Amino acid sequence: MSIQGVRRGVFAFFLLYAVAVTWPGALPFRGAEPFILGLPFSMAWAVLWILLGGVALWVLHWAEGRDPSEPGGRERAGEDRN
Amino acid sequence: MDRWVVITGIIGLYLALTLAIGLRAGRDTSPTVTGFVAGDRDFGLLVMYFVTGATVFSAFAFLGGPGWAYSRGAAAFYILSYGVLGIAPWYVIGPRVARLGRRMGFVTQAQFLVGRFPSRSLSALVAFLSLVAFIPYITLQMRGAGIVIEAVTEGNVPLWAGAAVAYGIVLLYVLVSGVAAVGWTNTFQGIFMVTIAWVLGLYLPSALHGGIGPMFREILAERPELLEVPGLTGGGDPWSWGGYSSAILVSAIGLTLWPHLFMKAFTARDEETLKRTVVLFPTFQLFLVPVFLIGFAGVLYVDALPQPDFILPHLILDVDLPVLVVGLFCAGALSASMSTGDALLHASASVLVEDGVRPFRPISEAAQRALMRVLIVLAGGVAYYFALDEDQSLVVLLLTSYGIIAQLAPPVVAALFWRRATTFGALAGLVAGSAATLFFFLNPGLRPWDLHEGILGLLVHLPFLVVGSLLTAPQPEPHVEAFVNPPPSTPEELRR
Repeated sequence: MSIQGVRRGVFAFFLLYAVAVTWPGALPFRGAEPFILGLPFSMAWAVLWILLGGVALWVLHWAEGRDPSEPGGRERAGEDRN
Repeated sequence: MDRWVVITGIIGLYLALTLAIGLRAGRDTSPTVTGFVAGDRDFGLLVMYFVTGATVFSAFAFLGGPGWAYSRGAAAFYILSYGVLGIAPWYVIGPRVARLGRRMGFVTQAQFLVGRFPSRSLSALVAFLSLVAFIPYITLQMRGAGIVIEAVTEGNVPLWAGAAVAYGIVLLYVLVSGVAAVGWTNTFQGIFMVTIAWVLGLYLPSALHGGIGPMFREILAERPELLEVPGLTGGGDPWSWGGYSSAILVSAIGLTLWPHLFMKAFTARDEETLKRTVVLFPTFQLFLVPVFLIGFAGVLYVDALPQPDFILPHLILDVDLPVLVVGLFCAGALSASMSTGDALLHASASVLVEDGVRPFRPISEAAQRALMRVLIVLAGGVAYYFALDEDQSLVVLLLTSYGIIAQLAPPVVAALFWRRATTFGALAGLVAGSAATLFFFLNPGLRPWDLHEGILGLLVHLPFLVVGSLLTAPQPEPHVEAFVNPPPSTPEELRR
């Protein structure tokens, strides 16, 4: 996938994130059960999106590092190869 | 020896260590405004990570977070939800702002905005709005420090003395070392507060309820309304979805626009450092999980407290923890307070001088630094005065200041991405948006669907920005191009 494609994907992900934690996206996930790792579902839902958000940012950064047209991208790609 | 004496000793050790780190931090910084305000643009990843995290999570998160979980239950999850949403745009905006700062010499947010939208009125307006938002924020940090010290020393060190000593030390290291002190003390304090939060967050549910799962099962059986989003209001009634959702949105929009955070873009060594800081931020955000666990641990254990923000010190004293743990907890809470308070004090003085004074009268570099130091003491004094006053409306003021700070989002985004934006449009939007925020704050009954006044302010702001810009002549193309499409920093700029 091109770097532009990754950027669009990450942008769409964060829009989805905003919908998922606010009304009406959060409505189906507002309850306490089932418990996840001891946490009520409503809290685990918010924690899950923090983790997914971290992964999305990491993917974007990783993709930019592989793209030689990005400032610093070639160097980072070089670091990875070494 | 009395418990409180040992605890005071531990607090004293922590404060001495913080002071030593703060004073030492500025030794290699140049004696210039860029050195004092932007740390010679040389903060690496470690410092940037902790500066961002520890500045975002203040005494409000460390004490207010458990307080919300304890009294309002799932309403507190809004704080979990906005952090990563709010920091994500910084991955794109931060490096661009840093690049322009390096090229054009900006060290404050208003300088950046006025660079694109030349206007001394805009500079003064941003300085004024920043200060209006800052003072209650600094005051809360000071009160937080004083409250914790008073509680754990069983009243032997009163609030006024605790706040005075903690913030006397903050003033000292900020005055001597500028933002370099903020950076290195925040690194130390950030490690401290995260460690303490995780230790207590895992320990207290286990000590009081036999584990995290059993704790929530007990709460579900006795207070099920606390575990269902959107939780409760401060008065104990169900919170509205409009209030909950708009609190997430306005906080996410405002997060990186707080001038003391925004200005840290100018301190980063390079753009890669800023991007990595954003990528790592979610690991800091997870620090809220144990913070909320602490609050929930108190739900069935402690009778209703008149001030829920006291739940953490209350629990700590009630559970009869070893004296060392109480001392360390206190140091963790002080870390949360001081790591935000120092950045706020430093930023308020920098913004006042750079944006409120310098555009209006020529002033030498040495005079700027001297004036900043005077204003840091002055801002500290004003906040201390309010900190001793038990006026509850300060918390409300802080929430409102988020609405004001969110009004800085449209001009910042327009400066970087909208070619047709003009100075008139930016000013018109900012004035209309801030006025609307204030109006809905003063008339909460008129807010549709219980939406946060900052969101309503933005709904008024945007048409004023767009129409005001389209009605006035476009800016010269080379000027716009420099902001909308800035070429990467040259090696020479990076060395500067």
